[in-house]
Amino acid sequence: MALYQREPYTTADRQKLADNESDQEEDALVEDYKEQVHFDDSMGMDELDRTASFGPSGGPQDMQAQLAAAATPLEYGAALDTKFASYDSYCNLFHYILNSEGPVELEVPTYYWAWDVIDEFIYQFESFCRYRNRVARTDPTSEDAQLLRENPNTWGCYSVLNVLYSLIQRSQINEQLEAMKRNEDPNQVAGEYGTRPLYRMLGYFSIIGLLRVHCLLGDFSLALKTLDDIELNKKAMFARVMAAHFTTYYYVGFSYMMMRRYADAIRMFSHILVYVSRTKNFQKNAQYDSVSKKNDQMYALIAICVAFNPTKLDDTIHTALREKYGDQLVRLQRGGPEALPLFEELFRSACPKFISPTPPDFDVPEINVDPVDHHCRIFMEEVKNTMWSPTVKSYLKLYTTMDLKKLAGFLEVEPEKLRGWLLVNKQRSRQVRWSEGALLDGEIVNGSDLDYAMQGDLIHISEAKVGRRLVDWYLRNLARTY
Amino acid sequence: MGIAFDYAPDRPEHIEAILNGLDRYNPETTNIFQDYVTQQCEDRTYDCYANLALLKLYQFNPHLTRDEPTTNILVKALTVFPSPDFSLLLHLLPPHILSPTTNNTAPTPSAVDTPLSEAVQKLSLLNSLLETANYSGFWSTLDSDDLYADLIADVNGFEELMRVRIASCVGQGCREVERGVCEGWLNLRGREFESFVGEICGWGVDGEVVRIPVNKENEAKGTVVREEVKFDQFSRVIRRAYEQPA
Repeated sequence: MALYQREPYTTADRQKLADNESDQEEDALVEDYKEQVHFDDSMGMDELDRTASFGPSGGPQDMQAQLAAAATPLEYGAALDTKFASYDSYCNLFHYILNSEGPVELEVPTYYWAWDVIDEFIYQFESFCRYRNRVARTDPTSEDAQLLRENPNTWGCYSVLNVLYSLIQRSQINEQLEAMKRNEDPNQVAGEYGTRPLYRMLGYFSIIGLLRVHCLLGDFSLALKTLDDIELNKKAMFARVMAAHFTTYYYVGFSYMMMRRYADAIRMFSHILVYVSRTKNFQKNAQYDSVSKKNDQMYALIAICVAFNPTKLDDTIHTALREKYGDQLVRLQRGGPEALPLFEELFRSACPKFISPTPPDFDVPEINVDPVDHHCRIFMEEVKNTMWSPTVKSYLKLYTTMDLKKLAGFLEVEPEKLRGWLLVNKQRSRQVRWSEGALLDGEIVNGSDLDYAMQGDLIHISEAKVGRRLVDWYLRNLARTY
Repeated sequence: MGIAFDYAPDRPEHIEAILNGLDRYNPETTNIFQDYVTQQCEDRTYDCYANLALLKLYQFNPHLTRDEPTTNILVKALTVFPSPDFSLLLHLLPPHILSPTTNNTAPTPSAVDTPLSEAVQKLSLLNSLLETANYSGFWSTLDSDDLYADLIADVNGFEELMRVRIASCVGQGCREVERGVCEGWLNLRGREFESFVGEICGWGVDGEVVRIPVNKENEAKGTVVREEVKFDQFSRVIRRAYEQPA
């Protein structure tokens, strides 16, 4: 129907101007990234030389092999024994790093080693938990199930969190970051461990690791709270490692989405997607493959968030989104019951692989529901509760006043139901949005360009119009003539 | 008026200390958090961030889980709808808790169909009714089952807290409401209704119409957003002027 057809993202985003980071800053970052890639290459060469020279003496090389192993993914479909062994070697390694007498002197294999270790450590934790849950659900009498049942503490959530928190504490990284925020020298508070790059980097990436673990466990507010001391900007340390940069924004954006702060989620996803599209050409292939999958997931999440909270997106993102999810986006934005399966499909394809922290109950297979189903169900409840908002909005846009009973007639629903939809849409247009401070801070703002109030059965509708952005237009066109 | 999610005005210092340290994972603090939940129920305060920490302890240590604090936390979260708190709490409960009770002939209903699971599902239904602004449906469902009365028994002043919350949502979206509709939303009739609306909400009753004074949210005034121009935007133009003297 013609009435349903709306232009995508017609809403003016008042935040937009503030968000619009200067192009120069972007460019500087792209340059920085190019250097990084180059830097990485030269580091690789160095490393070859170094290991070669270490050759004869057994000790250091052994350690080097361990360090390298810790940052290397297990092969796909590795046997359970391997996973147990891998857990043990992580424990040994972290024990050595954390509990030796005084800080250990280690030559790390690569510049990105610290990130890779934390990333792989959490990935193995995640896939182990998912595997354990799946075995309990589908094959509770198998040999693997028996083995898992006998070793409930392997890859336990307490030990994983313990490693991450210990690395953070040893390195005094939070204290260091706070000092940096105050423009003080972080080395003053770093202590014996934290002044060393090894500990500092491990500590720092453990914070990002915690963000991810909390998110995997469904604790979205704690996930955001974890980043209190990290300032999300392009000068942050994580921005120097592409994968870390990417991961951080994905989980922060996802957590915001689950806290129903869609504008903030969109801001996070947009930021990183613009960055990826700008640096695409300098990425090495292997690295880019992993980024590419998460990239698509984030586009799916942006589509969901835009459906909840129509927003004007960055041009690059808008174009890419239309290419990837054009049809779906139109259907999401139309809302109603027909959109529900699509919301679910996109959510499932784009959400993190949620885990359950405790061993499953092998004796009662049906109780071990996949955590993804659980989180998806809760999310879909929210989608269902608000699914009529697009319909309501599409009609209200056309009038300045409207009789509720008449509108109910158009929509073929009972007036009382429509009154509910109107209240729901009104409530949901008020959203907490970040303006400064920690990630969990924010103010309640009206995120919609449409506002209305009911006087009995009469609906008064008002619209926030956006004045023409002349200065912006002139400047852009002027720039073209240079 | 910025409000951080993790902020609660009435949070005691010892709770604050636990939340900011690693003791929030310590199973021994479970009792402290449980007492704090009881306290919130009694003195009508609310601290979602601390309650999430208790559910997290339960998540990590399932054997410590107690049904009563869990449901009390959820009931408290109903009183702050339509905030996302209720959902955020649900995310930390065991994954099977929301699975529809299996009506299969399989003789294992006991495993999934625990009292906690039933209670949580009932409360989720209430939450949905509130979030879809079906307030009269909420009251009638609440009255429809004795289990509900048990669930809300610990939360001091639950019905009044709900009324205040509903009223504030209504006040956001309406300037005038038909009396009959409003009575259904607040589940109050006659004199009781008039005194609640007049004294607590500060609204006027005028025959069959309830008048809500204008506030920031219900005035729905049209605005024109004007372009904000910052000097920085001209930096390129100005630089250009220096680089290429005409």
